[in-house]
Amino acid sequence: MTQLERPAGRMLTPFNVIAGLILAGGAVIALIRFVCGLSAVTNLSHYNPWGLWIGFDVMTGVALAAGGFVISAAVYLFGLKEYHPIVRPAILTAFLGYALVVVGLLFDLGRPWRLPYPFIVRAGPTSALFEVALCVALYLTTLFVEFTPAVFEWLGMRIWRKVVVSLTIALTIFGVVLSTMHQSSLGALYLVTPTKLHPLWYSPYIPVQFFVSAVAAGLSMVIFESMLSHRAFSDRAEISHEQLDGLTIGLSKGAAVVLAIYFAIKMLGITLEDKWHHLTTPMGGWFLVEILGFVLLPCILFLIGYRERKPGLIRFTALVTVIGIILNRLNVSLFAFNWDLPPESRYVPHWMEIWITVSIVTLGVVVFRWIVNRMPILHEHPNFKGMH
Amino acid sequence: MTISRRTFLGGVATGAGLMLTGTAEAAGSKHFPGYPGRYGLLHDTTLCVGCRSCEAGCQEVNGLPPLETPTEDKSVFDKKRGTTDKAFTVVNRYDGGDADKPPVYRKQQCMHCNEPCCESVCFVGAFTKTPEGPVLYDPSICVGCRYCVMVCPYYALGYEYDEPVTPRVMRCTMCYPRIKKGLNPGCADACPTGAITFGKREDLIKVARERIRKQPDRYIDHIYGEHEFGGASWMVLAGVPFGQLDLHEGATHTPIPEMGSGFLSVVPLIVSIYPGLLAGIYAFTKRKEKLARLSKEAAVAETLAAAEEETKKKLADAAKRAAKEKESAIASAVKKALAEARDAGGDEDSKEGAK
Amino acid sequence: MHTMQEFLAHTKGLCYIVAGVFLVAFIPFWLSLTEREQKD
Repeated sequence: MTQLERPAGRMLTPFNVIAGLILAGGAVIALIRFVCGLSAVTNLSHYNPWGLWIGFDVMTGVALAAGGFVISAAVYLFGLKEYHPIVRPAILTAFLGYALVVVGLLFDLGRPWRLPYPFIVRAGPTSALFEVALCVALYLTTLFVEFTPAVFEWLGMRIWRKVVVSLTIALTIFGVVLSTMHQSSLGALYLVTPTKLHPLWYSPYIPVQFFVSAVAAGLSMVIFESMLSHRAFSDRAEISHEQLDGLTIGLSKGAAVVLAIYFAIKMLGITLEDKWHHLTTPMGGWFLVEILGFVLLPCILFLIGYRERKPGLIRFTALVTVIGIILNRLNVSLFAFNWDLPPESRYVPHWMEIWITVSIVTLGVVVFRWIVNRMPILHEHPNFKGMH
Repeated sequence: MTISRRTFLGGVATGAGLMLTGTAEAAGSKHFPGYPGRYGLLHDTTLCVGCRSCEAGCQEVNGLPPLETPTEDKSVFDKKRGTTDKAFTVVNRYDGGDADKPPVYRKQQCMHCNEPCCESVCFVGAFTKTPEGPVLYDPSICVGCRYCVMVCPYYALGYEYDEPVTPRVMRCTMCYPRIKKGLNPGCADACPTGAITFGKREDLIKVARERIRKQPDRYIDHIYGEHEFGGASWMVLAGVPFGQLDLHEGATHTPIPEMGSGFLSVVPLIVSIYPGLLAGIYAFTKRKEKLARLSKEAAVAETLAAAEEETKKKLADAAKRAAKEKESAIASAVKKALAEARDAGGDEDSKEGAK
Repeated sequence: MHTMQEFLAHTKGLCYIVAGVFLVAFIPFWLSLTEREQKD
C-alpha cells in the first residue's frame, strides 16, 4: 500500500474531528485572551465582572462534580457495597470536573499565575472565596489521590497502590468535609450581594441550598454518566445492564429524598423573609419554573421511578435534575444577579466565551474517554481482581 | 465543714457563668467605631449644578485620560453613566419625573465605606481601610478575580479588561497621597459651588446636621452614608428622597460584610464535627457488617452442627441396626446350627437305637 | 481593633489555623483510639 492509500485509521472518527475542531478553536481564543485581554473575548463589564466562565464553568461545574464524594461516602462510610462498581467512574468524573473548573478559572482570572497568592503571599480569611479556593485546591488533590489506584493498577505498581488504598477511609472523610465546605461556600459568595441578587434567590439559607442541591446534582450526574459510559464503553463495562439498572433504581431513592429536602429549604427561605409576594412578578414566574419544573417535578418522578422500578424514567429525570442545577446556578450568577439593571447594562455571553466553555467540556470528555479506554475504571484489572 | 454536692455544683456553675459574662465581648455584641479623626467628604446635591469640574479635576490629578465628553456638552446627562477603569467619578442627572422641579445632580464614586465589602471579600487582602479614611487597593498582589467589583453595592469599581497581563481594579482613592500631604482631594478642590466639602468625618456630620437645621425646607432630614451598610466616608445631602438618586434608601445599618460573616463562622464547625461524626458512622457500619457476618457465621455453624448431629444420629442408628441385624443373624445362625446339631444327634440316636 | 473588618480578619485567620491543627491531630487521635480493637 502506498502512502496515499493508507487508510485514514481509527483517528478520524466524526467525534474526533468535531472535538479537534472545537479544541483548536478554543486554543485560538485562548491566545487572543492572553494577547488582547478579556475585553476581546468576553462581554464582561464593570457592572458584570462575573460571566459565563464563573457562572457555568466554576459554579455549575463544581456542583455537577459532586458525585465523587456522594458515592464514595455511600460505599466506604455507609457500607453500601453494591455501588462499588461505580465509585471509580464517579471519582474520575469528579476529578476531571474539578480539574476543568481550575482550567476555566485560569482563563477568567485577570492574573491567573497569581492564583497561589492567597496561600503564599497574603490571605484574606474574611472572604468566602478564600475558603472556596483553599477547599477546592485541597479537594482536587484528594480526588487525584483517590484516582491513583486505577493508575497504579494500570502501571502494575503494587506497593504504591497498596499505600493509597490504605488511605481510602481518611480520604473519603476528608473529601466529604471539604465538599460540604466549598459547595456551601460557593453559595455563600452571594450572601454579601443583598442589593444585587433578586430576593427570591437571595436567602441566608443560600449556602445550605447550594450544598443540598449539589448532592442531588451528584446523584443525578452519576445516574446519567453511568448510563452514557455503559453505552459508549459497553465492551469494557464489567457490570451488566441489569446490574446497572438495579443501582440506578437505588440511587433514585436517594435523589428523591434529597430533592424533597432541597424543595423544603427553598420554600422555607422564602417564608423566612416574607417574600411570597414576589412570586406574582415576572421573575417570580421564572423562579416557579425553576423550583416546580426542575426541583419538585423531578422529585416526584424519582419517587415514581423508584416505586415502579423504571430505570428509563429515572435516567430521564436525572437529566431534568442536571438541567435544573445548571439553571439554578446560572440564575443565581447571571440572570437573577443585577436583575434590576436596565437592559443595556445586562450581560449576555460573548460567543467566544461559549466556545471556550464548550472546549473545556469537550476536553473533559476526550480525557475521560482516553483514561477509560486504558485504565481499570469500568472493569476490574485482572491482576487485582477482588482486592478492593 | 462539709459542702453538699448540690452546693458545690451550684457554686461551680455560678462561677463559670460569671466568667463567661465577664468576657462576653464577641463581635456580636460589640460596636466598632472605626478610626477616630478619619476624613470624609460631604456631597450637598442641592448645591451641585452638574458642571463636572470634579470629573475633570479627578482625571487630571490621577493622570487619567481627559474626559470623553467635554463638560460643555450637556447631552452626556441623557444616559446614566457609571464609573469605569478610566473614570473614577461621574456626575449623573436625576430628573425625578416632575417637570416643575429642577433636575438634581449627584456625583458618584467609591464611598470609602467604614466596613468595606471590597476589603472583606478580597481573598488576597488587597484592600485596606486606612486610619485616615480612604480604602486603598494594592495591585501588586491582586489576582484579578473581580469579586470586589461584583459585590460593591455602589458599583464603584472598574476593571481594566483591555489589559491582557496587567489588569487592575480602578477606583477613586480619595486622593490618598494628596491628603497625606495636607491637600484636598482633586474633586473637592475643583468644585466651584461648594457641593463637595472635605474634612474630618465627625466634623462633616455636624456641618450636615447644621445645614439641615438651618434650612429644613431645603433638605430631607437625613444624612445618607452616615449609617447605611455601616456608614461610609462619603455622605450625601439631598432635597429629594435618596432613592430617586440611585442610592439605597432605607438600607440596613448592618455592614454588608457582617451578612457573610455568620456563615463563615460555621465553617470551622464542619471541620471539627464531621471527622468524628463520619469516622463514627464508618465504625458503626463496620460494626453492623461484623455483627451481620458473625450472626451469619453462627447460623452456618449451627446448621453445620445440627447437620453433624443428625449425621451422627443417623450413623448411630445405622450402627444399632447393623448390630441388631448382626445379632439376629448370629442368633439365627446359632439356631440353625443347634437345629442341625439336634437333627444330627437325632440321626445318631436312631442309628444307635437300631443297633 | 478599630474596625469590624480588622477584628474578623484576625479571629477568622486564627480559626483557620486552629481548625487545620484539629483536622491533622484527629488522625493520630482516632488511630490511638482504635488500634487495640480486635481486627477481623
